[in-house]
Amino acid sequence: MAINNCSVLTRRSLERLDLLLLVIESLDLNASQAMTWTSAQLGLEHIFPNPVELWKRRCHNPLRRTSRRGKLNVEESEALMILLCAMAQRLYPLLHQLLSSKEPESINSQRWQLLNQRFSDLLIERMNIRKGAVQRLLNRNYFETNNKQLVLTLAICAGPGGLDRLRANLLDESP
Amino acid sequence: MINQTFQYDQTSVRLQIEGLPDLSIDNDKECLGIISTWTLSLVGSPSLEGKREHLQALMATVLPYSRHCISDVKSSFGDASGPIRIEPSSKGHKLSLVSSKPDIPPLAINLDDAELADLVHCLDDMRMDPRVKINWDLPVDMPLTKRQIAYKTPLAQRIGAPLIGGSLLLIYSLLLLVLPIPDGEERKLNDQTEPLEVSLTTKL
Repeated sequence: MAINNCSVLTRRSLERLDLLLLVIESLDLNASQAMTWTSAQLGLEHIFPNPVELWKRRCHNPLRRTSRRGKLNVEESEALMILLCAMAQRLYPLLHQLLSSKEPESINSQRWQLLNQRFSDLLIERMNIRKGAVQRLLNRNYFETNNKQLVLTLAICAGPGGLDRLRANLLDESP
Repeated sequence: MINQTFQYDQTSVRLQIEGLPDLSIDNDKECLGIISTWTLSLVGSPSLEGKREHLQALMATVLPYSRHCISDVKSSFGDASGPIRIEPSSKGHKLSLVSSKPDIPPLAINLDDAELADLVHCLDDMRMDPRVKINWDLPVDMPLTKRQIAYKTPLAQRIGAPLIGGSLLLIYSLLLLVLPIPDGEERKLNDQTEPLEVSLTTKL
């Protein structure tokens, strides 16, 4: 897949991109392996040849427990976005189920509960919980609303058509 | 002439376009360059039909709206007097359509988030389809500015820092005003003591 030019992602953009990938990992237990396969299918194996290289790029998220300094270059940022859109497309039926109001409410609430639990476990495992931003993410009042927003973002950005929307969203100015 | 029909499906939305290849600009026979009609079927709602202009208006309204949705900016798109308008509602998203035919009343369709995502997917699939050779001339997705997303931040957080800064400046200014200005005699005394201190230090 061709990589277009885009601006370098800011710290906040990297945080959001990594959180979206974390939601994908919460939805799919084999996501880390699937990401490697998908990146190979998309022709991104020169950037992410193995899960470790992908993890190293994701560690630019300043909220991570083992955070790396510096910024991702344009090619790496774009490759991560392409991968995210492809993974969201792969998991689109699950995202649709979660967002649909036509699904039985009791079953859907259990799905959300499961997703929230996995996401919270991953946040505690991977992020630096001493940071205020991580504590805010784990705050009960904010947690579910934020998760729903992340799932909606994934659903709307799924597939190659969502790439421009995702890029624009990640490059939003911080308020 | 071969009439082409392309169909794009998602769980709750089906978009079907019909048309012809535009042979005047050397379109392949398998392609579609002129849309004659389109049909949008949303589960639980009446089918929508129209011409190319209506489909373009639908895309120009729904796609920027979805772009704003992912930034959690809830604003309406489309003119109130125009054929298509989409706005946030208590049930999700309200799509309002006004028919160009005089005897058909306006239609309002409530979409949940999943249906909105399906609609966006169908529109994306169509505009990204290499067989559809139509220049849609849609607005480019741009990052939102601080002003556009400002309302997401609570008012207290937004005005907190400038308010505290301004108050501190005011308090310090008032305190400085309260401090007495030294009169002439005090100044003279200060002038006399200074050389003594200097001489002491030099001796030491």
